[in-house]
Parts: sequence; structure tokens; C-alpha cells
Amino acid sequence: MNYGKPKARSGVERRGKGDDPLGANSEIGRKLRQYYDDLIAEDIPDRFSDLLNKLEQKSSADTAGNKD
Amino acid sequence: MSVYPGFRDDLLAAVPSLRAFAVSLSKNADRADDLVQEALVKAWDKQASYQPGTNLKAWLFTILRNEFYSQMRKRKREVEDSDGAITARLSVHPPQEGSVDLKDFRRALEQLPEDQREAIILIGASGFSYEEAAEICGCAVGTIKSRVSRARTRLQEILAITGENDFGPDAISTQITNSVFTA
Repeated sequence: MNYGKPKARSGVERRGKGDDPLGANSEIGRKLRQYYDDLIAEDIPDRFSDLLNKLEQKSSADTAGNKD
Repeated sequence: MSVYPGFRDDLLAAVPSLRAFAVSLSKNADRADDLVQEALVKAWDKQASYQPGTNLKAWLFTILRNEFYSQMRKRKREVEDSDGAITARLSVHPPQEGSVDLKDFRRALEQLPEDQREAIILIGASGFSYEEAAEICGCAVGTIKSRVSRARTRLQEILAITGENDFGPDAISTQITNSVFTA
């Protein structure tokens, strides 16, 4: 609606309350989500489910804690 | 045994987000996978400290982040010994489909200091609230807000510069290497 208002010079401008600086109208916000969504969409290597299976088996056999 | 049935499945379901966060932090896919692996092992070991019903993703991100900073301190010592290796590591990104635009964006993101990069990722991409991000990073909400705002301003500046002056990837890697690792 009101997007045509003159822009302040930099990101330092004060924005209205509730105006999300990384929201749908922000180019940085959109690129950020695109970058991140691409990463999330990558195939997950089997090593992680293998690892969790091992951890689960191990802790049902042995409940000693291993803190650090 | 697990704190609750399905703990293992919930951890597995969080892996894509954890990897995305790990890549954003470490700037390297292989290191990111090692980080996720370490975080999962730690999470498993200290699962008694997780309260079912609270935000599991935030809890896991906190663990992964702590792991990242402790590895980074170790690596910093290694890097001082072999400064050639780091440049190679920085360019190990898997080739991704995507516009030059997004590549520029990724490079810009990589130039941010860690604290700003993690703040803008947590808020702008991972979907955490400022309160959750503050808890993950162990700082005040206001600190997260100012980091996000500085990150955003900095990204706008860098992207504008990248468009005008044609820095090659090597020039940028060198800049990153110099600025991050010789301080």
C-alpha cells in the first residue's frame, strides 16, 4: 500500500513498530530464507540416523553418563 | 533409554535444521556435518537435562553452537600453524544450483562476524523469536536485536559493493582469511 514513501538513506532509519526488518518485504530477508531453505532441503547423510541408532542401543545396554 | 519415547526420532527430525545452522556458522559443509554429529552425541549424553515439552530445537541449537565455538578455539590454534590450509577449507562449498545472486549473498554472509551471522540466521531464517535467540546465544534480547540490525545493514553494504566492484572469489576469500584469522 504505502511502499512509495521516500526511503531514508540507510538501514539506520527508524521503522514503525511491528515492522519486521527481515520480513517478506525485505530483500535481505528473502535471500536469507532462500539460502537457508536450500541448506535444509539437502539430503541428509545416513551417518546421522546410524549414529542415533547406535546411541540408542548403547544407552539401553549401559546407562553410565558421559558428561563434560 | 530416552527421556521420552520418540526422543531419537525428534533428534533425527531436527538434523536438517541443525545442518543448515552448522553450515551457516562454520561456512563449510564437512565441518558442519562433524558439528552436527558432535551435537547429537552431546545431546544424547545430556538428554536428562532436556525438559520434554520445551523447545527441543532451541536446546539442540544451543548445544551445537557451544560445540562450534569450542571447536573454533581449538582450530584457531591449528590455523596459526598452517595458514595455507584455511583458504582451501573456505572454498569447499558443494556446488549448488542457484543464481549468482545467491552465491553473492552467501559470500556476503560469510564476511559477517560470527555473532552477527548467527543472530541474523536465527531470527531471519531459523524462525526463532528474539527471546529464543537470546537464550541460544546466552545474551540479552537487546544484544540480539542490535546484532541483527548491524548484520542487515552490513549485508546491504557488502552486496552493493559486490555488485559494483568485481571482486573475484579469491580476492574475497583472501579478505575473509585475513580479517578473520589474523586478528
